[in-house]
Order: sequence, then C-alpha cells, then structure tokens
Amino acid sequence: MTTSSQQTQPGTAASPSASPSAGTARRRRLNEIGLLAAIVLLYVVLGSTASGFLSLDNQLGMLRDAATIGIAAWGVTLVIIAGEIDISIGPAVAFSSVLVAKGATAWGLGSWGGIALTLALGLAWGALAGWLVARFTVPSFIATLGLWSVLGGLGLYLTDALPVALPDNGLFRTLGGTVLGLPTSALVMLVLFAVFAYVARYTAYGRSIYATGGNAAAARLAGINTGRVKIALFATTGLLSAITGILLAARLGSGNGGAAAGLEFDVIAAVVIGGTLLAGGRGSLLGTLLGVAFITVIANGLVLLGVDSFFQNVVRGVIIVGAVLVNVAISNRDRAVRTV
Amino acid sequence: MTDNDVLAAQASNVTKEYPGVRALAGADFEIRAGEVRALLGRNGAGKSTLIRMLSGVDVPDSGDVRIGGTPLGDGGVRRAAELGVSTVYQELSLVPWMTVAENLFLGAWPRRGGRVDYEGMRREASAVFAELDLRIDPDRMVATLSLAEQQLVEIARGVRGQPGVLILDEPTSALAVNEVEMVLDVVRRIAGRGVAVVYVSHRLDEIRQVAHSITVMRDGRTVETVPARDATTEQIVGLMLGGETSAAERPATRTIDRTRTPLLSIRDLVVPPKIESVSLDLHAGEVLGIGGLLGAGRSELLRAIAGFDPPHSGAVEVEGRRVDRPSARRMKELGVGLTPENRKAEGIVPLLGVDENMVMSDFRAVSRGPAVSPSRVRAAATALVERLSVKTARPETPITNLSGGNQQKAVIGRWLHAGSRILLLDEPTRGVDVEAKAQIYRLVRELAAAGAGVLFVSGELEELPLVCDRVVALHGGRIRAEFSGPDITLDNILAATMAVESVEH
Repeated sequence: MTTSSQQTQPGTAASPSASPSAGTARRRRLNEIGLLAAIVLLYVVLGSTASGFLSLDNQLGMLRDAATIGIAAWGVTLVIIAGEIDISIGPAVAFSSVLVAKGATAWGLGSWGGIALTLALGLAWGALAGWLVARFTVPSFIATLGLWSVLGGLGLYLTDALPVALPDNGLFRTLGGTVLGLPTSALVMLVLFAVFAYVARYTAYGRSIYATGGNAAAARLAGINTGRVKIALFATTGLLSAITGILLAARLGSGNGGAAAGLEFDVIAAVVIGGTLLAGGRGSLLGTLLGVAFITVIANGLVLLGVDSFFQNVVRGVIIVGAVLVNVAISNRDRAVRTV
Repeated sequence: MTDNDVLAAQASNVTKEYPGVRALAGADFEIRAGEVRALLGRNGAGKSTLIRMLSGVDVPDSGDVRIGGTPLGDGGVRRAAELGVSTVYQELSLVPWMTVAENLFLGAWPRRGGRVDYEGMRREASAVFAELDLRIDPDRMVATLSLAEQQLVEIARGVRGQPGVLILDEPTSALAVNEVEMVLDVVRRIAGRGVAVVYVSHRLDEIRQVAHSITVMRDGRTVETVPARDATTEQIVGLMLGGETSAAERPATRTIDRTRTPLLSIRDLVVPPKIESVSLDLHAGEVLGIGGLLGAGRSELLRAIAGFDPPHSGAVEVEGRRVDRPSARRMKELGVGLTPENRKAEGIVPLLGVDENMVMSDFRAVSRGPAVSPSRVRAAATALVERLSVKTARPETPITNLSGGNQQKAVIGRWLHAGSRILLLDEPTRGVDVEAKAQIYRLVRELAAAGAGVLFVSGELEELPLVCDRVVALHGGRIRAEFSGPDITLDNILAATMAVESVEH
C-alpha cells in the first residue's frame, strides 16, 4: 500500500521530498477502513451462520453491551493518547453501581442524590489518581492499579458481595431501558462520543492532549500545562466510569460489587484495536468507536454461535492480538517513511 | 553598515560564573538588523552561555544585555520574547504525530468561537512558509518529514512571531550535507527581512556561505569579529586556539607493523544518510583517532562497524576475512566491542553492580554448567577492576556509585571480558574530569600496546593528539585528511574537520 508520489493534493504546495501528504492521510485512514471492513465481514458471516444475529433485539442488545465498553473507552482513548494508562475501569464501574444503589436506598439521598454522589466521587477519585501522576510522577499504571484494588475492595466490602437493589422508579427504569426505542445507555454513549470527538479535534485542550503524549518536553516548552491536562484526563475517566456504573445498575436493577469484572481490558483492547498508540501521541475517537464495535460484535457472535463460554475468551484473545498486530504493521510502515 | 543601523541586540562586558566554571569573562557582542553573525568557538568557549544571556534563560552576573536598545535586565525568557528574541535550540522540539501547522502554533493554536481554527491556522502557516519560500505542506504529519524539513519547521516556528533577533543553535548539526543548503537558504531569506540572526555553528564552509561576519569566542570572551568572506581557515583556527599549542604530552611513538594484515579493514562503507563513503585500516597495536564535528557521522560509522546498523554497501574485513552480514552478535564473536557515546543511556546498566556490568558481555565464561557462578563472577570482575584500576569499593558496588571516568573504564572492561581485540570507543571521555581523562588515555595506550586496535572517536579534538598514533578527519560523510606522527596537531585536525578546502592546500 504505498503511496504514489504523484499523488499530492491539488492546490496545496507540494513538498520537495517524495512522501506525499495524501499518502499519509490515506494510510492513517487505512486502519479505520480495515476495521470497518472487518466489521462488515463479521456481519456477513455471523448474519448467515448465527441465527438471530441480525434480529432487532440482538442488535439493540449489542448497542447496550457496546455502551458498557464505549463510554469509558472515550476517556481512556484520550488518556492513552496523552501517554498514560488507566486500568481501573472495571472496579470503578462496579463500585459506582454500588454507590448509586446505596446512595439511593440505604443512605437516603434519593435517586438523584445517589446519582450526584456517584458522579462527584467518580470525578474525585479520577482527579486524585491524575494528581498522583502529575504531581509525584507516580506511573499511571500504578496509580490506577491502586485505584483498581481500592475501589474493587470497597465495592465488595460495602455490600458483602451481595447485590444492592435499586428503587424501582421511573428515573432508573428510563436509564436502564429505552428512549425512543433505543437503549438509553447507547444514546448516552453516542452523545458522549460526539462530545469527545469534538473536544479531541477542535479544542485547545484536546490538541494539548496530543501534544503532551507526542512530545511532553516540547509541549511544556510551548507553555502547555501538561500536569493539569493529566489531572483533567483522569478525572474524566473517573466520571465516565461513574456514568457507566449508574447505567449498568439501572439496567440490572441493582448495584453489584462484583460487576464488570475485566471490563478494563475490553476497554483498553478496543482503544488499541482502534489504532491508538499505547506509547501515546497518536489515536482517534473514531478508531475507538470501531474498536468497540469490533469487540462487541465478536463477543456477541461467539455467544450466538454457541461457542463454549470458557473457550470464547481464548478466541477473543487471539483475535485481539491479531488485530493489534495488523495495526503495528501499519504504523511501522508509517515510521519507515520517516527514516528513508 | 552605518551608525544609523539599529542595534538589534547588544551585550556589553558580560560575565557569568557557574559553580566551578567562569563561563563568560567579559564578553561583548553587537548585532544589527538584517545581519547574519556566526558565533564560533571550541566547546566551553562560552557560546552557549552567551546565547542563554541574550535569550533571557540566564541573567549575567555583571554587564548589560540590550535587545533593540531596551535593557533586558532580569526579565527572563518571557521578557526577551516580548522584546523580540526567538531561539531555536539544537534538539528538535516538535510533536511527531501532529501536523506541521499545529506544530507551528504549538500551545497557541488560533481559535475562533472557542474551537481551534484549522482553516485560519493553515492559512497563516502557508503565509509563513510562503514568506520563507518553503514548500512544506502544512497538513503533513511532522513524523513523515525528513530531518531537514523538521529543522525548517522549527526555524519557521522561530520566526512566526516576527522576532527581531533569531538565535539558531547549530541548526545543521543533525543534517546530511545535501540538506544543509535548504536551511542556509531560509536563513538568508530571514535576514533579508531585517531579522538579526545569530548563527552558532562549527562548520566553517557553511558559515562562509551564510554569515556576514564571524565572532570568535575563547575562554569566555569574544576575541574578534572578522568579515566572513575573507576569513581564512588558518586565521579562524588561530583565533579559536589563541596560540595554544598541542605538542605537549604526545605519547611516545611506537612503530606499528603495517605490512601485516590489518585487524580491521573498512572499504567504501556507505551508511545513509550521514556516511557517504569511508575506507580505513586499523592495525594491531594502533590507536586510530576519528575527529569530526557534531553530526559528521562519527557515531553512525562506529555503529555500522559494530553491526548495529547495517551499512548500505561496502565491506568490513576482520583480520583479512570479509564479514558478509555484519550483525552485532557476529561482530562481537569476531572481537569487536563498542562503547557508546551516551554512557548513561546505552553504556551502563544502572541498577547492577560493577561486576555484573562487566561480565554481562559473556555470561558463559563465568558459569558452571547452566548457572552463573558467583565466585567466577567475582574472580573475573576483581581481575578486571585491578587491570583497569577501576576505583570502586568492591566489585559488586552499584555502578552508579562510581565516577563517570570509572564507569567508562568498567564499560571498556566489559569488552575485555568478552575478549574483544578491536575496540570502538565513542567519546570515551565525555563528561569525565581531567584526571579521569588522563587515566583513560593511558588505559587506551596500554590496551593498544598489548595488541588491541582502537578506534577513538572524539569531538574534543584536542584530546586526539594525546592518545592517537594516527588521526583521520571526518567531514561530509568522507575522510578528508589523515595525519600521523608530528602532523597530529590540533590546528591540522581542527582545520580539516571544519572546512573542506583546507584538505587541498
């Protein structure tokens, strides 16, 4: 796939060296086009082999599953672009579901109070992790590993690992149900996607995230407060985990300290499959959206095909690593352009 | 130039002392609008310190710095920038996966209605490039640009804010010869717009092409300013050295048997982009110095010989036998050992002891059966510590507890442990004190006397006469001159590494 050197964009000044801009842009898109093609292929294959895959119910169910991964994945995409990592998503979501249920019932805050408390605390523990990373240069893997353990432990400790029922009211029924026929969680996911894609692309804050992950020293020299960027990023993923936890609790009708186990790995896998470099500096929300779709469709298909549930993990693992290998191959070719 | 010309920047009788060093001892500097002034001097002559004063990074101990007639005082970088000083430092500071335009406006992206105004940014970037007559697509990712183009983007960023004074710190040191011209063109054009350009470089040939005059610094003072056009290499070298001679402490010359097959033989080695074609022979018992400026391709040459970066073409022969595909492993087996330039990052393993740092080149030699034997490690390390006189409390002391010089000896010891006979030493005395330098010279001489061949690369040219039997000068990817015996003088080497013409006298 390389690029023909004649292919310079009309109207823009041609660079004296051979590698053309059109080629770079196309190569960047290749990952996304490839993913899209893979998803279409999965639809064709599963549509013809897995009975019920194309049914409306199953499609809506997949949207709901996608939301559980996707909402947090938008934030984690930006965290990874900034050169950091957040592995606390699963326990953070579980703990949030417990918080909202306890808040709305045992702690007497009411439904809205429970939701507000959960969102505020999510923001707070995220900001705390970000502060540890920015102020004390604690590796973000460790800071969020700590969070992973603390939040997971708290969720189980507060509930003795038993589900905490949510009050059965209109608010939670709406959050756990549908609006205009679409799952509420999916709508939230899509709205947040638009917000995050806009922020990443069109705000100075979003561009500062890319600069921080691409060359932190250069970003600092250019007057970007990289510490503040990081705190904001981790606070955001904390908030997104809280939102996911609330929606999950509403859907299940209860908060559960053991929910969403392993979600953090699905989230990171979706981001990386979407073409975001783990080393930072490069990635896109659109890629992550496709990565989320890819993972969701595979998980759903494996269930419908009746693959043994233990063996599903094996298949998913192989597919995820394979998808990332393809990405690495593509970005290596990119780098080759640089050194030639 | 007339008195009416504006003094764009001025430093009068500036002094600056850092702990233990008198970096500036009364430097005077004046530059007018539209002038390109080259700043020249050996390492430590005070060039960087003078730049730091002009750009507000540091405040002088005494003396006065004025930008466009206004005293800078202790206003710092921000004040200097307000007064119109812009500095482009040596290290590239671009964000690779952002576009050229975004890098041009890094951290100060133009906004309209709260969102980044890509259209306006692209337009402004195009305008900046058009003014410099540069053809770089503002939408390209920086990562896909060549090094030269990246350097041009850095310079464009430097002039984006319409500075009155532009300081360029060795803008071409990382570039290949054919790329330099692009940078020089842009510098001329910037000066043509009335910007005063301070151009720090060691490359006399490009200085002659781009600068109006040359200010030579020595020992923290500005020694003299001469018109670039008529400056001869001899004159400049004379000013840089200030009559200092280097004849002292030449090692006793030993006769090297050059009729025997060379230990190492390089023929027409090509390593793009820096090394165009290099041939050389290294004999047993010989210390061969390779002198060259920053960016001349010194490290690239050694890395290619050691098998780290495969050469594009050319032959590498060890003791007369051609090495078909030189890999790092193959070259190590053949007795080639490289000590890298960046000791901290590539030389030592910081968390390990001196002993393990040395024996890691060959664990099998200190093993019993499948397991590394602590007593053998200890024996081997103790022997090396003694042989190299590494100053360490115990062989297993963490290597980071040692001084730079002793760390370097340990890194050399690593190759002795592997039985290397061909030692490629890349800047072995960088960052070590004077006494340790002398010890390393002595060690290198001893190793050669014991039959090793040593390639000794150094940018501190004055040390080459102290340690080498023969010196070649690398410039523009080729060997431009060779000196042996009494011809190994600092003047000769300096002239040969700085200017192409001096070879042909």
